Amino acid sequence: MQGILSIDMKKRRHDRLAFYASVKNFRTTISLKSYIHQGDLGPFNPGLPVDVPVWLALNLKQRQKCRIVPPEWMDVEKLEEMRELERKEDTFTPVPSPYYMELTKLLLNHASDNIPKADEIRTLVKDIWDTRIAKLRLSADSFISQQEAHAKLDNLTLMEINTIRSLLLDSLNCMFKLRSNLQPGSSKGQFMDY
Amino acid sequence: KTMSDVLSDDGSINQDDSQEDVMTPAELIAKLEEAWLNEKFSPELLESKSEVVECVMEQLTHMESNLQRVKKGDAKASVHRMEIDRIRFVLSSYLRSRLQKIEKFFPHVLEKEKSRGEGDPSLLSPEEFAFAKEYYANTETYLKAVALKRMPPNLQTVDLLKAVPEPCLDSFVFLRVKERQENILVEPETDDQREYVVDLEEGSQHLIRYRTVAPLVSSGAVQLI
Repeated sequence: MQGILSIDMKKRRHDRLAFYASVKNFRTTISLKSYIHQGDLGPFNPGLPVDVPVWLALNLKQRQKCRIVPPEWMDVEKLEEMRELERKEDTFTPVPSPYYMELTKLLLNHASDNIPKADEIRTLVKDIWDTRIAKLRLSADSFISQQEAHAKLDNLTLMEINTIRSLLLDSLNCMFKLRSNLQPGSSKGQFMDY
Repeated sequence: KTMSDVLSDDGSINQDDSQEDVMTPAELIAKLEEAWLNEKFSPELLESKSEVVECVMEQLTHMESNLQRVKKGDAKASVHRMEIDRIRFVLSSYLRSRLQKIEKFFPHVLEKEKSRGEGDPSLLSPEEFAFAKEYYANTETYLKAVALKRMPPNLQTVDLLKAVPEPCLDSFVFLRVKERQENILVEPETDDQREYVVDLEEGSQHLIRYRTVAPLVSSGAVQLI
């Protein structure tokens, strides 16, 4: 139960963080000007595109009040190029968006009718994800076996970090505990539970 | 009366502390989210961000009461409802995170709070402090009633400060750099490694021991992710 609960919270947390990745709304059938706390939103005029947070866009889409315009990077040619680059390089290449995985899942699940070649895009993004996760597994493995103390992870997105977060951090903390118990008089601390 | 009348013309909030700059609602929520993530990923209890919490709760109350008044238009009301729920989720999660750590490390948290200097920022809000003291007292009473009073007289006390483990500051954390830092010392993991320094570039992400970067988290120079 605990595991399921924490995964759900992570997904919700992700939705929140993808909040500022705005998605253009087109052809709204509502017209309202509202002050919402994260800054003004709107005016929503029918037929004109407007930037809104993802959560709002999806909600309006589900109520059939708008059409969603996919982000620029969600395009077959661009994604194919990125996939080739990712497969060629050993390190992590820059991502189309820090929330590329979340946005792809959400938009393709709720608004695939607004996205051209949705199935191909789904496959391309999955390929990019799989390549990156494979690289991540290798790096995590070598980080632990080399007993490194620091790593720079610039091009890694949060979703990818979250897949190995508990495994990697728990292993590192466990190793530290084992090592420090070899030295007399060390203070024992409690580690984080995820 | 529309919702726009509640916020001032440019939607800004004046903070009670006159030294602080006026913050827009967007900035306030961003601060809340930063505090939330730092608290979630830090192994120890961080400074209490009471001003942020109070401001957010004020804003939520405002928004709730306005929502009562606006009856028309499913769209407007439900969008505001969603936003209130989202902010409330973050706030609750933040406070819950803190309470978990207070319960886990209660003797150390109380000790730290009692022994801090006059001008230092407090670790616990007044309510959290009361909670921690109660938790301490309840735990003592419980241990006495269940076990200690049946022990031989010279073993009837327990030093909770020694019995309860401290937070482990040597846990690893992921972070993103907000302000450039130079010459951060990285301590070696094994005996045959040497220590070295790294520079933290703005916008870069790192995996490192919490102990080294703890002051940077309090100062806001890095954000735990």
